[in-house]
Amino acid sequence: MIQKSSHTGITRRRFLKNGVLIPLALAVAGGSISTLFLRRADARGFYLRPPGAVEERRFLASCIKCGKCAQACPYKSIKMAGGEAGIGIGTPHIVAREVPCYLCPDIPCAKACPSGALDKKLEDIEKITMGTAVIVDRESCLSLRGLRCEVCYRQCPLIDKAITLEPRHNQRTGVHSIMEPVIHRDKCVGCGICENACVRDQPVIVVMKSPPVQKDYYEF
Amino acid sequence: MNFKWWPIRRFVQLGIVTLIASPLFGLTIFHGNLSAGELFGINLSDPFAFLQATAASKVFIASFLASAVLVTGIYFMLGGRTFCSWVCPVYLLTEWADRLRSRFGTGGRTFSLSGVRWSFSATIIICVLTGVPLFEILSPIGITTRAVMFKAWQPLLLILSLVTIEISIARRVWCRSLCPVGGFYSFLGRISPLRVAFAHHLCTQCGECTKVCPVEEVLEPPLTTHKPQVTSGDCTRCGDCIDICPTQALGVDIWYK
Amino acid sequence: MELSRRDFLKASAAAAAFAAAGAPLLGSNNADAAEAGIKWGKAPCRFCGTGCGVLVGVKDGKIVATKGDPAAPVNRGLNCIKGYFLSKILYGKDRLTKPLIRKGNKMVEASWDEAMTLIASKFKEAIEKHGPDSVAMYGSGQWTVFEGYAASKLFKGGIGTNNIEPNARLCMASAVTGFMTTFASDEPMGVYDDLDLGDTYFLWGANMAECHPVLFSRIIDNRLKNPAVKIIDFGTRRTRTSQMADQYIKFTPQTDLALLNAIAYVIVKEKLYDEQFIKKHVVFKKGKTNIGNGLEDKFKFTDDPKPMTFDEYKEFLSTYTPEYVEKLSGVPAAKIIELARLYADKKRKVNSLWTMGFNQHTRGTWVNNLVYNVHLLTGKICRPGENPLSLTGQPSACGTAREVGTFTHRLPADMVVTNPDHRAMAAKIWGIDPKKIPEKPTYNAVEMFRALDRGDIKVVWTQVTNPFQSLPNLNRFRKGARKGDGRFVIVSDMYPTKSTEVADVILPSASWVEKEGVFGNAERRTQQWFKMVEAPGEARSDLAQTIELAKRLGHGNLFPYKYIEKEMWEEYRQFTGGGKDLAPYEAYVKSRGLRWPVVNGKETLYRYAEGYDPYVKAGEGIKFYKNKKDDGRAVIWARPYEAAAEAPDKTYPFWLCTGRVLEHWHTGTMTGRVPELKRAYPSAVCEMHPDDAKKLGIKNLQKVKISSRRGTITLPVDLNGRGKAEKGNIFVAFFDETKLINELCIDAYCPISGEPDYKKCAVKVEKA
Ligand code: SF4
Ligand code: SF4
Ligand code: SF4
Ligand code: SF4
Ligand code: SF4
Ligand code: SF4
Repeated sequence: MIQKSSHTGITRRRFLKNGVLIPLALAVAGGSISTLFLRRADARGFYLRPPGAVEERRFLASCIKCGKCAQACPYKSIKMAGGEAGIGIGTPHIVAREVPCYLCPDIPCAKACPSGALDKKLEDIEKITMGTAVIVDRESCLSLRGLRCEVCYRQCPLIDKAITLEPRHNQRTGVHSIMEPVIHRDKCVGCGICENACVRDQPVIVVMKSPPVQKDYYEF
Repeated sequence: MNFKWWPIRRFVQLGIVTLIASPLFGLTIFHGNLSAGELFGINLSDPFAFLQATAASKVFIASFLASAVLVTGIYFMLGGRTFCSWVCPVYLLTEWADRLRSRFGTGGRTFSLSGVRWSFSATIIICVLTGVPLFEILSPIGITTRAVMFKAWQPLLLILSLVTIEISIARRVWCRSLCPVGGFYSFLGRISPLRVAFAHHLCTQCGECTKVCPVEEVLEPPLTTHKPQVTSGDCTRCGDCIDICPTQALGVDIWYK
Repeated sequence: MELSRRDFLKASAAAAAFAAAGAPLLGSNNADAAEAGIKWGKAPCRFCGTGCGVLVGVKDGKIVATKGDPAAPVNRGLNCIKGYFLSKILYGKDRLTKPLIRKGNKMVEASWDEAMTLIASKFKEAIEKHGPDSVAMYGSGQWTVFEGYAASKLFKGGIGTNNIEPNARLCMASAVTGFMTTFASDEPMGVYDDLDLGDTYFLWGANMAECHPVLFSRIIDNRLKNPAVKIIDFGTRRTRTSQMADQYIKFTPQTDLALLNAIAYVIVKEKLYDEQFIKKHVVFKKGKTNIGNGLEDKFKFTDDPKPMTFDEYKEFLSTYTPEYVEKLSGVPAAKIIELARLYADKKRKVNSLWTMGFNQHTRGTWVNNLVYNVHLLTGKICRPGENPLSLTGQPSACGTAREVGTFTHRLPADMVVTNPDHRAMAAKIWGIDPKKIPEKPTYNAVEMFRALDRGDIKVVWTQVTNPFQSLPNLNRFRKGARKGDGRFVIVSDMYPTKSTEVADVILPSASWVEKEGVFGNAERRTQQWFKMVEAPGEARSDLAQTIELAKRLGHGNLFPYKYIEKEMWEEYRQFTGGGKDLAPYEAYVKSRGLRWPVVNGKETLYRYAEGYDPYVKAGEGIKFYKNKKDDGRAVIWARPYEAAAEAPDKTYPFWLCTGRVLEHWHTGTMTGRVPELKRAYPSAVCEMHPDDAKKLGIKNLQKVKISSRRGTITLPVDLNGRGKAEKGNIFVAFFDETKLINELCIDAYCPISGEPDYKKCAVKVEKA
C-alpha cells in the first residue's frame, strides 16, 4: 500500500490536474446550457407549488428539496417530484387530483420552509396564488349541460368569490336553468379542491398556471 | 486496546437515518433532511445548500443563513469531512459497496481528491450562471434522504448506478472525487483543531491504515514525512485508521501540533 | 322456497309478456346506443322526492348507463349529480348477496330457507308469548308501492297489529298531519308547474338548491325569464338557496311559528285578506296548547279541535304584532310587514315551499297549518302558479308511505284504523275479517324504537332504511337493539349499514330496477318501472321477502297473485276512489307518470279546483271536498308559538341543526358507494359562524368536540363552506356513517305528527 500511495505521487497528480480541469470546464459549460434549456418555459408542464411559493424561476433556484414543507402538511397534499420533473426533481408540488391543498389557516408548509422558496411571511392563506382554476373541457362539464352538478363550486373554499354560479336559461328544456360555474382569477387561489372534487373521470376543472395580468385602464 | 470508533460511528450514521425517517412514525423531533432540517425546533441547514440557493436565486434570507452558520460552526469544530463519515447516508451506502468491491477485487481505479473541490467550485459557478441550485437536483444525498422520508424509492436507481460504478470501476469515486458537499467540507475542515494524531515512533509502516482509509492520500504526509497529525481537509474523521492500527500509532488530537 | 321462486319466474314471465304488449319500446332513437347493444328502459330516480325520470341502459344483464329521460316532464332529461351516478349505486363492492345470521359476534352466511325459518320462528314465538303487538315492521318512503302495500296488508290484515311505521315518520309526518288537519286529505293541491308559473316564492326551512336541485333550477329559470320573480328564503342557516334568493330572512330557530302568525296578523290588520274566499272556503279552529314534546316514553296526545269565529281568530292573532315577533325571531318588524304585504299582494302569484325545517319540528303540524293559514287568508291556493307546496325527501314518501298508508294509524288512501268504516272497507278489499285490523294505533317511529329498547317490542324488521343511523338520540336505540332478552332485529338492505351492525339477521335486498316498482313523487305523480336486471347473488326484493314471511306465518292467502305487481296494483286501486283515484296499471306503464286523481285516464293538475279536479262541480270554483266534516272547507288554525323542546343555555350554548348536502342522500348507503360522490364530499364537517369560532379560538378546519346531553362527536370546523351557520348555530350533515351526529339529536317530536325535531337541540362546542 505504501507503494500504491507513492504511485499516486506527484506525476499522477499533475496529470490529473490537467485531466480534471478540462472536463470540469466542459461540465460547467454543458451543465449551464442544459439546465438553462431544461428550465425554459415550463417545458415539463405546470407544477402546482405549495402555498407561498415564489415565482417558479426563483422557486427552482431557492428550493433545496428538504421536504420539510411536505412533512408539515397535515393532509399530505405535498408530494416531492420524481425524475419526471427534470430539474424540478425533488421539488414539492401538489397533485390536486390526489390531494388538493386545504388552505390551512396557519400555513404550516410555508412556515416550515428554510430556504425562502416558500414565503414564510405569508399570512392570509386566501390571498395566495398557486394557480388558477380553468374549465378545460366545457363539453364534459355536467353543469354546463344543464345538470345540477356544481360540485366544484360548492366545494371551493372561496365559494362565491373564486367561483360563482351564473344561471342562464336552458333552451332545450325551456323550464330549467343552466348553472354555469365561473371562475374569478383574482380570487382563485389555485388550491385544486375543485379539480379534486370534479366528478368526471378526467377533471373538467383544472388548476393551471395563472396567466399574467394584462393591464388596461377600463375600470369595470 | 478494545475501544473502537466504528460502532459509535455506525450508531450515529444509522441514528441519523432513523431521525430522518422518524416523521413517518409520527414523531416530531426532527423534520426535513440533510439539506435543511429542524431538530427540536432548531433550524439547521446545509451551508452548501444555502450557498447554492443564494447563488442561484440571488435572494438573501437571513434566517436561512443563520441556520447554515450554525451547521458550519459545528463542522468547523469537528473538522475534516466529518459530515461524510458520520452523517451522510451515501457514505454509509458506499462504505458497504466498498466492502463488496474489495471482496470482488474489482474497481481499483481512484481519482484525485481535489475533484470534489473543483466540483464544489463548478457547482457554485453554475448556480450563479443558471439560477438553478444544480447539485440539489442531482444530489444522491437528497435522493437517499427523500427516499427515506417519503418512501420515494424510484430515484434510488440513480444511487444504484453510482454504487455499481464504484463497485466495478472506480473505488469510492463519488465521495473521493465528485461530491461538491465533500468539497465544501474539505475546504472548511482544514482549520479545525480536532485531528487524527500520528505517533511515528509507534508506526511499523504496515500500511493497514491506508487500506481502510477511504481517502488514503491524507495519511501520506504523516507516514512519509512523519507529520504528527493528519492535516488534510479531506480526512473524513471516520476513525477507521485508528481502529485498525495494530500498534496504536494513530489516535485523536484535540489541539494543533 | 321452491314455490316462491317459481312464482317469481312466472311473474317475471308475465311481466315480460305484459311489457311487450303494453309498453312501447323506450328510448332508443340513439343509434350509437343501439349499436352498442344497450337497451333503455324508463324508471324514476332512486333518490329524492323530486322524482326525475331516467332512462336506464342495460347491456349483458348489467346497467351500463343511465341518463335523464328527455320525455319525463319533471326533469326533461336533466338530473342532479346523484341521479347522474344512478348506474353505480347497485354495484358497490360490498353488496349484500346472501342472508346472514348472527352467531355470537359474527354474521354467518345462511340460506334463505334457514334465515326465513329463523325469522318466522321468532315472529311466532313473540306473537305467542307477547301478542301481535310485540312484532313490528319499520319500512320506508323508498319502499315501492307494492312493498309498502304488502307489508301493511300482512301486518294489519294478517298478523293483526298496527306495528308498522315508515321512516317517512321522520321526514314527512308533519306535512301529512298538516294536510289532514287543514284539508282532511293528504298531499298538495299544487304541482311542479307552479314553479314555472308563479312569481313569488317563499321558502321555509328548505334548502332547495341542494335538496331539490332540479326543481330549484326551474324557479331560477322562471326568474331569469321574469324579472318580477322574487325568491324569499326563510332560514336559520345561510345555504346555497339563500345565496340565490332575492332575500334571505334569518330567524331564531322555532320562531317560524311566531313569524307566520305575525304575517297573518299584518294581513288581517291591514285587511289584505280575501274576504270572499274566507267566507266561502274557510272555517276557523283552535286546538289544545302547551301540548308537550313527546320526550317521555309512551307519550300520548289527542287534540281537541274547537271551532272559532274569524273575530276570535283575529283576537288570537293580536299577540303576534310585528314588534313582538321581532323580539322573538330577530326579524325586523318592518321586514315582517313588508313580507306580509308581499304574501298578500293581489298582483302576485305566491307560492310557499318547505321541507324539513317545517316538518322536523316539535310543532311541525302547527307550522304546516300556519303556512296554509296565510294562503287561505289571501285565497292564494288551488290556482295555477299559486300554491303552498310541501316538498318531499324520499322517492316514494308520497306514493308509498303516505298514499298506501304504512303508518301505524293509517290504511290506504287517507283512511285510518280508528274509523270502523275504513277498517270495514279495508277488510273487504283484503278479504279478511274486519275484526282482524286493530282499531288502536300503536307506536310512531320513535316510540317503536323506544318500545324495542324497553322490550315491549321483541321483533322488529326494517326494510330499505337505516334507523340505527337516522333516529335521533341514537345511542339509546343502538344500545336498545342489542339488549338481548328476546329482542330480534332483522334488517333488509342492499349494503352493510349502521343498522345491519345491530341486526340478528341481515337479508340481502334487490334494489331499484332489480325489481318492478312504482314510486309516487311530491307532485302526486305516480311512476312505474319494470325490472331490468337481476339482483346480485341471492338478493331478493323486499316484496318477495315480506310475502315469504307471510307464507311462513300462514298468511300466504293474502297474496294470491300470479303477476304480483299488476294484480296488487288493481287491488290497491280499489282504495283510491273519491279524489285519490289511481289509473289502471297499464296507464303507468305507458306514461312518464300521472298525477292523481286520475279519472277517466286524465290526470289532475290542481286539486280542489274547478276545471282541473273532476270532483269539483261546475260553479263551485274551489271546493275542499275531502273535508266533509266542515262542509268542504279548509281550516284556518289558531296555533300559538311555543318554545323548542331544548334551547341553548349556559352549558350548551349552541343550536345544532342537521341536514343534507347535494352529493349525498340520507345516510349515504348508496351515494357513499359511488366513488365520485364520495370524493366530491368525503365526510361530515361542522359549519359554524366565524365570530363564534373566533370566540372559541377555533380556526378553520380545526377539530372540535361537539356534545349534547345525549352524545359527543368530533368533527373539523368548516368556516368557508357551502353553508354558513348563523351566530349561535352550528350545522352538521347526517350522511356520514363514521360520524353519527344523530347521537346528539333530541328525540322530542311533534305530539300531533310524531315527527322528531332534528333541527334544534342544544350543544356545546370545544376545541378537540
Ligand atoms: S396550506 Fe395546508 S393543506 Fe395546503 S399545502 Fe400547506 S400544509 Fe398542506
Ligand atoms: S421546505 Fe422549502 S426548500 Fe424545503 S422542499 Fe419545501 S419548498 Fe423546498
Ligand atoms: S382552485 Fe378551485 S377550489 Fe381552489 S380557490 Fe380556485 S376555484 Fe376555488
Ligand atoms: S364538478 Fe366538474 S362536471 Fe361538475 S360542474 Fe364542476 S367542472 Fe363541471
Ligand atoms: S462526499 Fe458527499 S456523498 Fe460522500 S459522504 Fe461526503 S457528503 Fe456524502
Ligand atoms: S336525486 Fe332528486 S333531483 Fe336528483 S336526479 Fe334524483 S330525483 Fe332528480
